[in-house]
Amino acid sequence: MIDLLLFNATNGLIIGAFYALMAIGLSLILNLSNVINFAHGGFLVIGAYLSYSLTPYLGFWGALIVAPFLTAAIGFLVERLLIRRVYGRDPLYSLLLTFGLAFIIEDGTRQIWGALGKPTSIPAFLSKPLSYQFFFITGYRLFMVAIVVLAIAVLFVLLRYTRAGIRVRAGTLDLETVAALGINIRTLRSLNFAIGIFLAGLAGVLASGQLGLEPTMGDGLLMPSFIAIIVGGVGSLNGTLLGGLMIGVAAGLTAVVFPSASDAIMYVIMAIVLLVRPRGLLGEEGMLT
Amino acid sequence: MTAALVAEGLHTYYGKSHILHGVGLEVAEGKITALLGRNGAGKTTTLRSLMGLTPPREGRVTIFGTDTVNWPTYRVAALGVGYVPEGRRIFPNLTVDENLKVPLERTGAWTSERIYQLFPRLAERKTNRGRQLSGGEQEMLSIGRALLLNPKLLILDEPSQGLAPLIVRDVFRIVAQMRSEGISVLLVEQNARVSLEIADYAYVIDDGAMVYSGPAKELAADEARVQSLAGVSVEEWTMS
Repeated sequence: MIDLLLFNATNGLIIGAFYALMAIGLSLILNLSNVINFAHGGFLVIGAYLSYSLTPYLGFWGALIVAPFLTAAIGFLVERLLIRRVYGRDPLYSLLLTFGLAFIIEDGTRQIWGALGKPTSIPAFLSKPLSYQFFFITGYRLFMVAIVVLAIAVLFVLLRYTRAGIRVRAGTLDLETVAALGINIRTLRSLNFAIGIFLAGLAGVLASGQLGLEPTMGDGLLMPSFIAIIVGGVGSLNGTLLGGLMIGVAAGLTAVVFPSASDAIMYVIMAIVLLVRPRGLLGEEGMLT
Repeated sequence: MTAALVAEGLHTYYGKSHILHGVGLEVAEGKITALLGRNGAGKTTTLRSLMGLTPPREGRVTIFGTDTVNWPTYRVAALGVGYVPEGRRIFPNLTVDENLKVPLERTGAWTSERIYQLFPRLAERKTNRGRQLSGGEQEMLSIGRALLLNPKLLILDEPSQGLAPLIVRDVFRIVAQMRSEGISVLLVEQNARVSLEIADYAYVIDDGAMVYSGPAKELAADEARVQSLAGVSVEEWTMS
């Protein structure tokens, strides 16, 4: 029983890291652009399929590095051409736009790569189980977690120590004053959007090695990511990280005792957090006004 | 005398309400120009129009000889316009040091070291977050932040608001010092008496239109007008 709990907790932590990676990207975009990006799962799919197409030319490692950057470039263009047109408008516009984008990406993927799932291969040394007792914990799972941790650590360092990062954090609460201090907030928003999409692309590349490719593979990650943001508190990336890990572990542990409730548990956690602390665990006050 | 800023015939609206009715003003280079008026007279709206934060529907704004109407705010600021907004608008989630890293790095004499020399109090609070500062410290940080842009024109919106008289005196001394640094200043204030002590020229706005303009000394001598500007409460403390 202890083994099973431990196994599920670890597994939940791995899934939670994924939620966090997606949610932090969403959160970055929400904080600076006030856009809830329903197409975020779509960008995950783009990242995954790009790495699939690049692997024959660049190999596993090359695709792992290049695909997220290409996804980010696509995100940058989408922001420049479409997303920025809805800034400052009623939130309905951005919801409609990103919802539509999500459908376009999903069907575009079907057109280009086909509707059926595709198998992916990962280097042999990563696919071996690390332990025969916890047979599900393969080297690849640990590898995914290591990459997720690295990506989030790099992002947090950028946000903390670079001027651009400091400006992004300043803009989270008061973008108007950032502009009044001479900062080109159009560029800042585009770059910030691209970084959020980079994280989605990276999540896609990593997920494809574990789950294989399907045009709808992003759908299952989107809702938990929103919940991670709400639980952690809108406006706080630390909170989003915490929220993602929390609901991942909670879902993993619930699967031991009551498997059919493992999806419902994250909604229960969200409801409790909203009742006790409406701005989320680490949320900034006044973010959603 | 050349002008740092000239505004003519500004008409500005918030939604459907017409706030400014053809406001015009001029900020002379190297001087302090005060824009006075009661609460709700249109002072902040005038500044927001100049900065492009609430763009005017009609009128012209020329800053250092460049027509800036319809420019986005960041381009206006990047011309060398430092803006100290109403309520200071410190970034509450950033430390003092980080607040000073937000502004655009225009080349010039101002560095964060110099800001810390000018406001030693801020140096002591470098690692404190904006939300932990007192009103006076926030005002200093807001001015310091605007100075780091190395502005040629400094626009201050009610710097004395909510501050204790002693601190107001400090803040105004700094503003007067900026003039000797060669910075042109546009000072918006409700506190007419103290403003007129440091200002060279003054405008009075009421109901969204200019009702007076003249040398600050002349306005200061017009006791009745100064009294009426102070509104209901007579301000009994001065700069001395």
